[in-house]
Amino acid sequence: MSVQAASLPVVAAPARKRRLRLRPSRLVLNVVLAAVAIFWLVPSIGIAIISLRPNGTFGQSGWWTVFTAPSQLTFSNYQQLFSAGFKAGSVLDSLTTSIAITVPVTILVTVISSLTAYSLVFGRWRGRTLVFLLIVAMLVLPLQMALIPIASLYKVVDNATGLHLFGSVIGTVIFHVAFGLPFGIFLMRNFYSGIPHDLLEAGRIDGAGEWTLFRKVVMPIGIPALASLAIFQFIWVWNDLLVALIFLGSSTHITLTMFLYGQTRALSNNYWIISTGAIISIVIPLIVFFAFQRYFVRGVLAGAVK
Amino acid sequence: MAGVVLEDLTKRYDGGALAVNKLNLDIHDGEFVCLVGPSGCGKTTALRMIAGLEEISSGEVRIGDRVVNNLPPRDRDIAMVFQSYALYPHMSVRDNMAFGLQLRKTPKADIDKAVVEAARILDLERYLDRKPGQLSGGQRQRVALGRAIVREPAVFLMDEPLSNLDAKLRVQTRAEIARMHTRLEATMIYVTHDQVEAMTMGDRIAVISEGVLQQAGTPKELYEVPQNRFVAGFIGSPSMNFIDLKVSQDGGVVRLTGEGAEMRPDDTQSALLRDLGTDTVTVGFRPEHLELGALAGPGVSATVVVDVVEFLGNDELIHGSSAGRDVVAIINADNTLKVGESVTLTAAPRRLHLFNPETGLRIAKDGPPANGGAPSLTTA
Amino acid sequence: MAVVAPTSESVPSAPAEILPTTSKHAGGGGFRSHFGSLLFLLPGAVWLLLIVVYPLIATVIRSFFDASGQNFVGIANYKSIFSTTDIIVALKNNVVWVVLFPFLVTFFGLVFAVLTERIRWSTAFKTIVFMPLVFSATAAGLTWASIFFIDPHTGMVNAAIQTAANAINPPGLYPIDPTSGQTVSSLAATGTQPGPGGTLESKTSVSAGSTVQLGLIGISPTTLQQSGAVPAVVPTASSGITGLVWRDFSPTHPLVRGQVFPDEDGIPGLHLSLLNGSGASVATTTTAKNGTFSFANPGSGNYRVQIGANNFQAGFNGIFFLGTQSLTPTSSLSPTLQAILSLPIVDIAMIIAYLWIWAGFAMVVIGAGLAALNREVLEAAQIDGASEWQTLRRVTVPMLSPVLVVVFVTMLINVLKIFDIILNMAAPSSQAGAATLAVEIYNDFLSPTGQGLAAALAVVLFILVIPAMLFNLKRIRG
Repeated sequence: MSVQAASLPVVAAPARKRRLRLRPSRLVLNVVLAAVAIFWLVPSIGIAIISLRPNGTFGQSGWWTVFTAPSQLTFSNYQQLFSAGFKAGSVLDSLTTSIAITVPVTILVTVISSLTAYSLVFGRWRGRTLVFLLIVAMLVLPLQMALIPIASLYKVVDNATGLHLFGSVIGTVIFHVAFGLPFGIFLMRNFYSGIPHDLLEAGRIDGAGEWTLFRKVVMPIGIPALASLAIFQFIWVWNDLLVALIFLGSSTHITLTMFLYGQTRALSNNYWIISTGAIISIVIPLIVFFAFQRYFVRGVLAGAVK
Repeated sequence: MAGVVLEDLTKRYDGGALAVNKLNLDIHDGEFVCLVGPSGCGKTTALRMIAGLEEISSGEVRIGDRVVNNLPPRDRDIAMVFQSYALYPHMSVRDNMAFGLQLRKTPKADIDKAVVEAARILDLERYLDRKPGQLSGGQRQRVALGRAIVREPAVFLMDEPLSNLDAKLRVQTRAEIARMHTRLEATMIYVTHDQVEAMTMGDRIAVISEGVLQQAGTPKELYEVPQNRFVAGFIGSPSMNFIDLKVSQDGGVVRLTGEGAEMRPDDTQSALLRDLGTDTVTVGFRPEHLELGALAGPGVSATVVVDVVEFLGNDELIHGSSAGRDVVAIINADNTLKVGESVTLTAAPRRLHLFNPETGLRIAKDGPPANGGAPSLTTA
Repeated sequence: MAVVAPTSESVPSAPAEILPTTSKHAGGGGFRSHFGSLLFLLPGAVWLLLIVVYPLIATVIRSFFDASGQNFVGIANYKSIFSTTDIIVALKNNVVWVVLFPFLVTFFGLVFAVLTERIRWSTAFKTIVFMPLVFSATAAGLTWASIFFIDPHTGMVNAAIQTAANAINPPGLYPIDPTSGQTVSSLAATGTQPGPGGTLESKTSVSAGSTVQLGLIGISPTTLQQSGAVPAVVPTASSGITGLVWRDFSPTHPLVRGQVFPDEDGIPGLHLSLLNGSGASVATTTTAKNGTFSFANPGSGNYRVQIGANNFQAGFNGIFFLGTQSLTPTSSLSPTLQAILSLPIVDIAMIIAYLWIWAGFAMVVIGAGLAALNREVLEAAQIDGASEWQTLRRVTVPMLSPVLVVVFVTMLINVLKIFDIILNMAAPSSQAGAATLAVEIYNDFLSPTGQGLAAALAVVLFILVIPAMLFNLKRIRG
């Protein structure tokens, strides 16, 4: 069956290729690439070290001086941020808000994308091609197009029904799901088209209904693609700022990205908060990345449209 | 044009596995030599070492008089035709063929002349401005050949160029390559797993198995005097039959016996066997040399129960068994044999090949044969 | 689960899928399956229609109305786009991003993909370069802001430049601060005048046996303390030329110049030269802690005392990378032209940061394309006589062009909407000068009078991505 990704270079070593070896330029190459790798690591290492230095040292000396005075490293910044507990606007509360948005979005997008993709691939109704092309067109649609009307819509609904959509996690989730669907449907549809129709025909002849076919045949086969989609979607929503600002801008509970952004408008000496918050915000995506690297890369490869 | 000499050519992979083991071969200027053997025998690796696409672990490759071991492919004055054609997909046929000359800064007029001439020879003139994606498999292969011709190299290397073509195209292109060879009088080294291709195309054939050269010689030599059991069984289709028989000396008369089969050696063979010392011998004989009927003199005779009869037109192909061993025979179709029939098949002494059952080597007058200097051979 | 490697003709990462052939199955399921699979479509369809399609239309309509949403104003909002400087600046920045970023990221992705083929530790390298994609652009922007900070003590880049600059051109003991407008000539006080080449000279000429007093202002007392200065002493005459260089500012008599007060310090460590009539230096000396100096045995004739320029050599104070200083020379142009033609330095800094995030993406996608190339074609090029470089340029890269285009277009779309990194990386004073369309939309959305404008801008953004949309559609169908 055809899947987006070819070999996954980040995880698997490439199949043994016949290639001639360069000679002395090999050393130069390794040195150059090592320098590039170090350059790439430095920002992350820097911000991590800044978060481990005591409050107040940021403005006085560069983080690289820590190598001459390693004893100054401390977790005090983390302790201080955590000591605020789950108060609204604290880092822990923001972490919770981020989770509260990201997890439902991920689940909803994967489930609805699978269902829709199933219908597009295995359904027998006319116009499937047209609908798919519309989905492809929606892939690049900037979400700025929808911000204003949806914000208004939320406010109108809130006033009319007493619901709390604008300024709430639920409203944010609804918006994120909508803009995650085109990519999700695209990914799952491409994956499902690799499944032979005969498989379902056999099931139908045996008397299975569409729901059973979906649940027992198509979805299990599609788990690798689902994993890729879930991880990609997770990280995408976790790292979002714009949608969160629009819908939660005046809310007391904010996401981690909003938390970090909020610090930029405060004093510039609060990098102790920024760095610590940044590290905290990276922990979960980093775990997801390393645990599911293969699937993430696959999702990214397929995401070469978003 | 130049000859190619391989001296103790060896390829060793990490971990010690030998893909090519001390290959010695002397290819003369203008000769068409086929490297043939089963998949994985090292023939392609050897070719790639000649081309410079694989590093040589030890040994030497000489093209003309130059040792080319440390030269990159482009300095070896070779051209190569790949199994997958390996055409540049983004270039037209014309540019594909011109590419090598362009790199060498040949004047444009000369390039055009060479390309047009090659296109004419290969009947590609209509396709010069098409891209490979717009061509059929056979056309693509001809472009690959054209690309090689245009370079006028000292040696042409071909790696199973016909394998991706259908049967009919294969026959056509085979003839084209043969024509090319005659016309250009070029040295060509041709790798294939198909012994029919090798037999029909090669001036000489080198049979390789598990990295070791089994025998090198003309098709006739390989067919008539195979130097070991592997070559005997590899060359010729359907393959040679082999029977192990016990040697017994009965007062000066040498006889070989086995279940359901026996052999009466002629004088030369008796002399060989007498001095041998082993008590079993593997006797080989080709299906096409078997006849129906009892032995009237020296020769081999086997009682065969017929299993399958395949009608070939003029002949019948008989699959049978003789005391548990498979025997294949080609008999004139007038003898309409039936399945289950028990027949006696015989072959004349000059059609028989004697092999040492342990070493697989041919039992011959001058002792174990020289077969290119390879170490002890494994039986196929 | 086994991953099917694509054929050499197809682009592995690009969703170049063929459309499903219309399947006309006879029998099996019938109406029920027809209905069932349509039902599956429902949640997605409803969601998309409501939150994507409806707003699309609503925004377009909204863009023709004014800020309150009640009055129809036609294309007034669109007209104001091209007459509002802020928006012109934003469009200019979008152009900068679009021109520079997709090309650079594809270039680096290609370079890395090609180079990593030849090293053993390619997996580790790729992981390192790819990892920043896990960061939010917010966190990355803040991180890189700290890297580009102007203060050489905290900003890595400026710290590195400072080390190099100070090694080449060591600062003097009393460096001036050009960023506050200070010049060497402004230091001149009693008896001192500016000389050529950033020096200071004695106003009057001196000769053997005379003394001269050179007063300077604008020297910070803390710097003087650090140099070990002590209160100035009026110099005594000698056979040579003696003098005093002192800080001609007394806290107790702030307006009096020329008099050596007890609370005025001498200026130690200054390198002085004695210039003869033709301007050549005949002797050098350094001021003492109390500011006095002497030249012994000058010849006859008139001289001038010069305070060397290197004393006031400015140290490196840091480049304001996160500011909107233009890299193109536009300072003499009209404001509108400036808005259009200036290239804010912060854009470059942000592009570097964004490259740090996305080069890994380009590398991985191009790397996958590279791995799928038919090796034998590259070998044929070798045999044809191409060097490594020629093979790369004339065979590998052309064969990769579909993948390169996909990466380019993807990054192009990405960059049109760029938002997070600007908010978090550009200095607060640079926000207006660094803004892009997406930032403008956000700003207008927040302002009470900007709703109509925001809608119009959103439509403009949409129009800009339409070519990419068509490109994708063509690719999927073809």
